Amino acid sequence: MSRQIGRSVDPKKVSGELFTLTYGALVSQLIKDYENEDDVNKQLDKMGYNIGVRLIEDFLARSNVGRCHDFRETADVISKVGFKMFLGITPVVTNWSPAGDEFSLLLENNPLTDFVELPDGHSNLSYSNIMCGVLRGALEMVQLDVDVRFEQDQLKGDNITEIRLKFIKRLEDAVPVGED
Amino acid sequence: MTIFNLYIFDRNGTCLYYTEWNRRNQSGISKEEEFKLMYGMILSIKSFCSRLSPTDLKDGFLSYRTSKYKLHFYETASGLKFILNTDINAGNMRDNIQQIYSNIYVENVIKNPECKLGQQITSELFQTKLDDYIRSLPQFATKLS
Amino acid sequence: MPRMEVEKTFSYPLELTLKNYNDQIVVGFGQRDGIKVGHAVLGINGIAAQGRSLEDGRDVLEVIANEENYPLAIKFGRNKLSTNERLVLTGMFHSLFAIGSQLSPETRSSGIELIETDVFKLHCMQTLTGIKFIVVTDIRQVGVESLLKKLYEVYADYALKNPFYSIDMPIRCDLFDINLQSAIEQSERTGISNV
Repeated sequence: MSRQIGRSVDPKKVSGELFTLTYGALVSQLIKDYENEDDVNKQLDKMGYNIGVRLIEDFLARSNVGRCHDFRETADVISKVGFKMFLGITPVVTNWSPAGDEFSLLLENNPLTDFVELPDGHSNLSYSNIMCGVLRGALEMVQLDVDVRFEQDQLKGDNITEIRLKFIKRLEDAVPVGED
Repeated sequence: MTIFNLYIFDRNGTCLYYTEWNRRNQSGISKEEEFKLMYGMILSIKSFCSRLSPTDLKDGFLSYRTSKYKLHFYETASGLKFILNTDINAGNMRDNIQQIYSNIYVENVIKNPECKLGQQITSELFQTKLDDYIRSLPQFATKLS
Repeated sequence: MPRMEVEKTFSYPLELTLKNYNDQIVVGFGQRDGIKVGHAVLGINGIAAQGRSLEDGRDVLEVIANEENYPLAIKFGRNKLSTNERLVLTGMFHSLFAIGSQLSPETRSSGIELIETDVFKLHCMQTLTGIKFIVVTDIRQVGVESLLKKLYEVYADYALKNPFYSIDMPIRCDLFDINLQSAIEQSERTGISNV
């Protein structure tokens, strides 16, 4: 992912490294601006959310994926179509809860964290938290209320990066009074 | 053949965009009320179709036709609703509406940070692109009256 | 058309999200082995469900939520329309018909004559006297206009000309039913286009 030599010449595509560096600069600036790392996580989540509610339209327009009627289907589409389209990776979908309302995405290689070494004293920081926001925002736009958080992170010495998604409820369309 | 007008609603029922080309009859109520009526009708017709359907629906309601016009409906998974009115001889406009969504709406509204989501679209670029696209369609060919 | 019904034995917890819709417990999210979103709970462990409760009086959602009741054999399927719902839908169409005419971008438009979805078509013919004939067909059915005209004739012949039929009341005439049936059967034989 990080060491691509013969880059494609598509003028609309930017280098993955530039993207990673930009994100890194953003996070480190946020850390300077906010004293509390929980606030940084919150800001990243908020930014991600704002990206997600827009990105979903691009996703739907390009992928031709219809509405999901099952959370397993949702998980598959997120991993095989969504992550593939925007980050070029396909996380493994695993660790289903018995009720089928929770699963994990395992990322072997997180493109946001190339070149990143987390210094000591940042144990509360969820470096790639923007992803949670993106997922949350995008899913909310397709009527899925989902809780998203990092469970494990390679930056913190875990073996794998794990994002946990929990289905909360379906958001029914806003309908005028008298209809259901 | 001709195209009359286009409505775009977001999932909360806000009319994001309305424009007309060869419309010859006004509904006799204010635009705001007309938008509400149109959105309400679309919701009812969707619910009507899903309750009436003998088997499971996939896309659900697609279009209806009266003696004078045909209403084409397209809804994205994110709840964005496109309503295009044409004359009754226009065939299936689904692909065209999909084009408007993916090539004009997403490119010029979603990717334009100036355009706030859930509010009326004011982008001139969007309006021009949409107008050019509609006028280029074979279904548009204005009839002389 | 065959009515889709699926019975499956579930263990706790249920992998489907159910919701209350029009006094029916229906699947809101999640799909399994032919059970689809929108299907209603028709019965549990062989006991038929009526609306939100079972025939023995227990509440469907409470039975399903209680872990002690598992394993549960739950039957799902598309809900059949009751006479009451039919009347509600007819009323809905009546207003949609009128709004369709009001929102017309072209002058002097009729109301809705044809609704298309991905699985059925609805044809409506309104006579000059304001009676509506509505036929729901397969999307491949052709020649529905002539069927509608035929139905108008059947209505005129066997309902209106029957001195014991009172106008604007539900039609309960055997001859009408018989002729209606034969008109529909004839249309079915000739009307499905061979695609």
